[in-house]
Amino acid sequence: MSYFEEFLRLGEWLSQDDRRALYKYLLLSNKEIYEVQANLLLNNTKLNKTIANGEILYSFKNGRVNYIAREIASDEFTPEMREIKLTGSHFIDLARLRKFFAQSDVDVIQNYPLPGENPQTEGGFGIDTYPYYSLAYYSNGKNRLSGLVKKFRTNDREILTKLRTL
Amino acid sequence: MPITISKPILLMPKVPGVFVIGLLAAQFLLFQGGNGPDPKCRVSVERPHHSTSLKESQKFDAIKLNVTSTCNVPQDYTRITAQIQKIENNREVVAHNFSSRVAASTVKSPETAVFKNIFINCVPGVEVAYKGFAKGYVLLKNGEKIKVVGTSGNYEATDCEIGAQ
Repeated sequence: MSYFEEFLRLGEWLSQDDRRALYKYLLLSNKEIYEVQANLLLNNTKLNKTIANGEILYSFKNGRVNYIAREIASDEFTPEMREIKLTGSHFIDLARLRKFFAQSDVDVIQNYPLPGENPQTEGGFGIDTYPYYSLAYYSNGKNRLSGLVKKFRTNDREILTKLRTL
Repeated sequence: MPITISKPILLMPKVPGVFVIGLLAAQFLLFQGGNGPDPKCRVSVERPHHSTSLKESQKFDAIKLNVTSTCNVPQDYTRITAQIQKIENNREVVAHNFSSRVAASTVKSPETAVFKNIFINCVPGVEVAYKGFAKGYVLLKNGEKIKVVGTSGNYEATDCEIGAQ
């Protein structure tokens, strides 16, 4: 089993560093897939996809994209968990949507993992309040400058290397 | 000379009937809204503990903090920032600040939100006294926001030390 496949089974046992590194890994390795998905979403206003043991439903309305999710084979969708505003510029929006897709994939992987040996708490959907593409994540909602400093100080190289190579 | 008694007009309503009915209806609606319970929420923070699950499945040591928010009315989600504090040189210091988290309630338990992955690696072998702390707010289904704050209570010793931040 690869390191990435192991991550798909960890669920709530993914640490904060694991989740952030996973986001960076998905953003890079799924660049083309996310672009195709972004175009589908912009053209059809809806997009449905699955990752790990979860299903994500994206909606595009009034220049904004949001998502809801559920465990595969469950009837219960989460409330709208995140939203991103688009600009109308195709190039910028593609870049924004790629980040949004990678973020939502990490959100769903940590809540609806593939079956594994790690015990998971039943019910609920928990995410980091601030997305990893935002400086607010690094400053925990405080000022952007301290977020920028912390972003440069954050080093995910070790986990990223494992995700790419193992 | 005939005595004329004026018509008793005191009993005549001074406000139109429709208005009175409207007022009664408004009062009824107000009382209906007031009959629901006063929304109250609390956040329960368990004492930070050395997680055996992580040790067994992930082969690493970590201090885990279990946090749950519960209301007496349905909630959408709870948003908190959590912290583990420790005693160092007889002083209370922050051992770790967790990034802000959001947990949504479920259809099965609409009054409750459970925070799952709040943990931080630690080095075993050193006994340290920890306490958990969380603060934030609950967004109720009716749109109302309720502030919550909670601690795990007294400091309790655990045989694992959280590294310096």
